[in-house]
Amino acid sequence: MNNVKTNKMKKLIYLIVLFFGIANAQITPEFEIGAKGVFSGNLNLNSEESSAVSDFSDTQLLMGLSQKLYNNWRAQFVLGLQFPDANSNLGEVFYNNIFIRLEDQKNMIKVGRTIAQTNLNEFPTLRDDDAQQFTYALNPFSDGINTERDQYANVLEYTHTFKQRFFVSVHGENFYDSLEPDDFRLNSTGLTLMYKVPESQRWNRNVIQEIGLSYNNYFTDRQGYSNDFDASVKNLLFSTTLNLKPDPINFIDFRFQAIQNFGWDEVNTLNDYFDYTRTESSTVFGTFRYLKQKLERPHYQVSIGGGYKSLPNLEVDSNQLLFIANSFYRIGQNFDIGLQYRYTENTGFTEGLFGKNEHRIQLAVVYSFSKIFNKQFGDRQDLLNLEHNYIR
Amino acid sequence: MMDRRDFLATGAVSTAGTLFFPGNLLAEETKISNKQKLVQPLSFKMDGEWKEFELYIDVHTHEPAPGFKYHTLAFNDMIPGPEIRVNAGDKVRVKFINKTDLNHTIHWHGVYVPWRMDGVPFVTQLPVMPKNEFIYEFVAEPEGTHFYHCHWGTLMHMQAGMFGSLIVENPNDSIKKKFPYEREYTLVYSSHDTNYIREEMNSMLERMKQRSYLMKEGRFNSEQWAVFDNKEQFAASLENGYQPPYVNNRRSNSDLPQANWFTVNGKSYPSTPYLFIKSGENIRIRLINAGAETHHLHLHGHDFWMVADDGVPLEHPFKRNTVPLTPGKTFDIIVEGKNRGIWTFHDHDTRKVTNNGLYPGGNLLALVYEDLPADELIISKHSGNPMYNSNAGMGDMKKMDTTKNDNMGAMNKMMFGEDKLPKIALDE
Repeated sequence: MNNVKTNKMKKLIYLIVLFFGIANAQITPEFEIGAKGVFSGNLNLNSEESSAVSDFSDTQLLMGLSQKLYNNWRAQFVLGLQFPDANSNLGEVFYNNIFIRLEDQKNMIKVGRTIAQTNLNEFPTLRDDDAQQFTYALNPFSDGINTERDQYANVLEYTHTFKQRFFVSVHGENFYDSLEPDDFRLNSTGLTLMYKVPESQRWNRNVIQEIGLSYNNYFTDRQGYSNDFDASVKNLLFSTTLNLKPDPINFIDFRFQAIQNFGWDEVNTLNDYFDYTRTESSTVFGTFRYLKQKLERPHYQVSIGGGYKSLPNLEVDSNQLLFIANSFYRIGQNFDIGLQYRYTENTGFTEGLFGKNEHRIQLAVVYSFSKIFNKQFGDRQDLLNLEHNYIR
Repeated sequence: MMDRRDFLATGAVSTAGTLFFPGNLLAEETKISNKQKLVQPLSFKMDGEWKEFELYIDVHTHEPAPGFKYHTLAFNDMIPGPEIRVNAGDKVRVKFINKTDLNHTIHWHGVYVPWRMDGVPFVTQLPVMPKNEFIYEFVAEPEGTHFYHCHWGTLMHMQAGMFGSLIVENPNDSIKKKFPYEREYTLVYSSHDTNYIREEMNSMLERMKQRSYLMKEGRFNSEQWAVFDNKEQFAASLENGYQPPYVNNRRSNSDLPQANWFTVNGKSYPSTPYLFIKSGENIRIRLINAGAETHHLHLHGHDFWMVADDGVPLEHPFKRNTVPLTPGKTFDIIVEGKNRGIWTFHDHDTRKVTNNGLYPGGNLLALVYEDLPADELIISKHSGNPMYNSNAGMGDMKKMDTTKNDNMGAMNKMMFGEDKLPKIALDE
């Protein structure tokens, strides 16, 4: 009996030694940690019932581990979590990013859950989903109880870059299906074309900072149609960011995105969110942003924007309007205080679905941080890479 | 710019370098390829009494050891920069051309230059701005081993590779009289945090692009520049709420460099140069530390003469076999060829005998006797280990010749290759 115990103990010791031997022989990866905390007091004045809320949704933590591979490729493993809205049906924590990325100088492959390419622009709003219905091609499989299921999907993406600025991406997604939550098959495919000036060079680019086009095809089950393409919901996105005043101190840009949902002719009333995402709609959204920099760091920012969505195929004239204005002031490294006002107005069928109108005022403290430890290689957007080809 | 002829020359040298391996240590090609690992002389032209040199600085891809490359800054596309060699009393003019988008200056370390030629930004001159030039003029004195380096953003620019040797020769050199020699070597030591270099270069390039833009627009001020005319102006800015960059602002979170590459003449083992010597010959070695780490240099099998300290000839030379070469220091040593063999000359702080954390690498090179008989390189003839040499420890006794030894020989060949020393070891 004692011998058996001794042998087991020996095996355990061997395993521990083997594990630590292997672990110690490893190259420690680059370790990136990012955090965003959005804490606001919200005052909602709407047509039904007004309320005041303490809100920390959209707060998130992101961790990435990166290493060089053989043959000049690199890999990154990313794990991120987000605290969703209280009534989102996602629990206390939602794992919004769990993916692996492989890349070399011209190719990128992404597998796992991350933000889908159903939004081509980053608008200056307090939270990512503040203008959700205007800024994303919406997930037609979702019941709309939360915004995360529109933003994030399980993706398979391949992107090829040309001349460090042109990106062609072919992607397939599994968007969460509220009716069949255990179905993980890809239910969407798309093609995205983007021209993007690298981050490090944006401040002095005349006029065009970004321009992109994306087509997304959601493989929905449409009654009466057997052909997958005919049965699908189709969206086309156009997006651009224009530098109105490219300057390192006083910077002004204009961001714009248009989404055309080609919809189904037979959806002419809105009974639920499924109908909302499957009927024809045309959406435009744009923001003007002024950023004041002081000593090469952001000082304050003021932005103003609005969006309009029309749903022309409905029996009753229905549309949505959004106006948003905010300002942020940097009170210390990584800390900003912000004030945002948002007005939404819905008419026709959308009024029944989302309420008539709402004024929302938010006073917020935002913390954002990102740091890479154990740095080993340059980033794709580094000037050294852009001008001297660092990533091989 | 490299022309076709340069390319062909470089190609030929590279090929020789590729073919070179330690088994051919005593071959003529080895000596030819070794010259590429030594400091390269900078030619000059005469303008009246002036010796005119030209140095430029540009972004450069550097390979300290085969297979590892990084972007850095280099004088005349080489690390270290080319060696300026003049006689004491020469009038020296150096035209410095800045081809980068960063600021630079040149400081002449240990040389009695006029103070306005000392290369300290905002103290003796304004920085040499991107795509600008500066003419340095001075009389070469005192004699001895000195060096030059960039004095702008020195923490990064020096370890990036902006340094080179400056030798002021004395025709009546007292050292040469005491220790007659024909051959001499310059070894420039440095240490580099290649990750820090990359991050800082990126951040400097970004900053400079913005600053150059604002300068052209006439909207650049003291606070943005972090440069003030005097203490009063600085104090007034502080009163108005200005936070210096080292407080809770801008670059205050930067980490200090942790060197991960250690180089001699810009090369790390196994690319480091060989020092060739013959029995009975004296060689002079000029040691320069252009980095920020101390190197405890130790020569195996010999004591060497310490003959100059910071370029100053020592009245009473003394013997050592280990010397701490601190940052900014130069020592001249004389090695007497009295012990034929191959002897390592390395940093005895063995943390610096590493490449990217792996031993061996870094500051490891060899003193090689050219008159070493090739026979002595054969492992099985001279090894003290009976596993490789059946005669080990047997003096003149009869050789044991057995089948067992043949089998052992086959195994040794599999493990260690050719029956010859030295070899390149990359991981011990």
